[in-house]
Amino acid sequence: MSVADRIRDGDGTLAAVAGVAAVVLALLFAVSPFTVGLPGELSVFVEVGVLFGLYVILVLGLDLQYGHTGLVNFGHVVFFAVGAYTAAILAAQDSFAGTSLGYPWPLALVAGVLVAAVVGAVVGATSLRLRDDFLAIATLATAEIFHTVTVNFSGTFGGSTGIFGVPQPVAAVAGDFGKTMLATLVLFLGLAALTYAIVTRLTTAPYGRVLRAIRADELVTRSVGKSTFRYKMQAFVYGAALAGFAGGLFALYNGAVAPSFFTIQVTVTVWIGMLLGGASNHRAVIGGLAVIMGLRLFSRFANDLAPVTSGEFASLRLIVVGMILVLVIRYRPAGIWGDAEELGVDS
Amino acid sequence: MGLVQNVVFGLVQGSYIAIAAIGFTMIYGIVNMINFAYGEYLTIGAFVGVLAAGVLPLPVAALVAMVGAGAASIALAKLFFTPINETGPVPMLLTSIGLGLVLRNVIRLGAGRSARYYDTESATYEFAGVPEVPVGSVDLLGNFFVTSRMLVVVGCAVAVFAILHALLTRTDVGIAMRAMSDSEDLARVRGIDTQMIRNSVWVLAGVLAGLAGVLLGIQTNVSVTTGFSQILQILAAAILGGAGSPYGAIAGSYVIGLVVALSTAFLPADMTGLSSAVAFLVLVVVLLVKPSGIAGEEVREA
Repeated sequence: MSVADRIRDGDGTLAAVAGVAAVVLALLFAVSPFTVGLPGELSVFVEVGVLFGLYVILVLGLDLQYGHTGLVNFGHVVFFAVGAYTAAILAAQDSFAGTSLGYPWPLALVAGVLVAAVVGAVVGATSLRLRDDFLAIATLATAEIFHTVTVNFSGTFGGSTGIFGVPQPVAAVAGDFGKTMLATLVLFLGLAALTYAIVTRLTTAPYGRVLRAIRADELVTRSVGKSTFRYKMQAFVYGAALAGFAGGLFALYNGAVAPSFFTIQVTVTVWIGMLLGGASNHRAVIGGLAVIMGLRLFSRFANDLAPVTSGEFASLRLIVVGMILVLVIRYRPAGIWGDAEELGVDS
Repeated sequence: MGLVQNVVFGLVQGSYIAIAAIGFTMIYGIVNMINFAYGEYLTIGAFVGVLAAGVLPLPVAALVAMVGAGAASIALAKLFFTPINETGPVPMLLTSIGLGLVLRNVIRLGAGRSARYYDTESATYEFAGVPEVPVGSVDLLGNFFVTSRMLVVVGCAVAVFAILHALLTRTDVGIAMRAMSDSEDLARVRGIDTQMIRNSVWVLAGVLAGLAGVLLGIQTNVSVTTGFSQILQILAAAILGGAGSPYGAIAGSYVIGLVVALSTAFLPADMTGLSSAVAFLVLVVVLLVKPSGIAGEEVREA
């Protein structure tokens, strides 16, 4: 559970304070002379925790698009991937596959956010006027195109090998493995809390009310004089930029990017987390994400006990994940903590 | 390889996409959902066919596959889609994505990762002596060949188009399908049993998917991704043709088939993997310029 979970739904001030505190703490810890040995059994928890921080940023962006504005973006992974690849190409040094330009990493991170936002704007311009389910198809197709492009243009994107040699700032400062992982965990959870604070600020403002009005009835919203296309475009681009930020962080944490990190699996995980928790409620979607990622963590241990190969186990896990998606939509369309009336669904 | 050869490939690919795209677009028009699990119906058909072909002659095995896929389609619809028919297109699309994930992995567990092949004999007809008209690196005519398998695929497609046309214009069920596709409420007022029509569309779509799966399996091989690898092209063809319109889907399928085949010819050799991306690019451009497709109704929200 992240810091954000224990905070009551307010204006996000507490989350902002906690986020800043966590980020400062993580940086201080990274530069401090203390060292920690991370026991092997614990490292898997820390790894999943780091990933959880990134996915929280992803799910908050998606919730802004779907939960608040009603935009069915089923290619969220593409913005995550664009951010990661942009940051990696700009910052990597001497990668043996693909392009590596060797610019400083802060620049690369900012560029990752910007390029993801631009891609979001282009996709939005082409498909935000379409019916909901067609937007889903257009975004899904975009993700598929980008995946094919990264695999095929090996001169730029490194093909299926991907790009290596991306600088890892936290590791460079902290030194040993255990300390790096702990500092990264606290840093990413802090950044996730900050994202939560910013998104909450946005959606509790009158601006957020317009977004929810668009989701409820776009025609009515337009008839009271709101430029609904502009609002939809903004929400879409904000979500894309947040995913790009998470992607940039991922590249700088992992030190490498490859097409296999950015499959439809990412989109599905984030969507299930959001629907399971309850769309349009920031705390609920984070809770749902925690449940689904907890299941993933649990399944890693369960695999050791179950008498099947890891390939078969992966298939079993995906069957369970797919069934959860189907069952949630059928029996709890508002999610575990969601408000059915607010979402306008029967439950 | 000449352009003529690529056009032949494009027509063959367009043919099996068309058979599947008709089923896909009819589900869209009448059940009002984008069925993302539809690729798995093709896989089911291909597997049933390859198992049946072990003991039966191939044409009979293809019929068994069509019946099997039709039965699977109606059973899955009863279990997953009919209960949430009233919730709107987005929950149904999400359900189909979840269902596709489940089906794909169930098939992978049951069948393993290795590919299976239909044991068929194929005659090849060479057309040599066609003059070459090179323009740059591309040859505008050139020698080409046609195999008997290709002729079977195209022949099946033409037969399906003829039967479908007869079904939609001459039978009560077909006319009711067209009526429901236009307006479900008016169709119900006129006394059409809408749920029965929906069920028949599910069966029809499954049968078509089964046939497309078998043809695809004969052309390539049968594995867990046989159908899934085609779903985006089927989707692109259906939307290109105007979602909900079977005739548009046929036209859209041949456009997609030809675009994919020709882009393979024109792209540099190390980038042929991009040809499927080209199909989606066509889709995105169509959504941008004319979202209603070649023959369809308006899909813009605003």
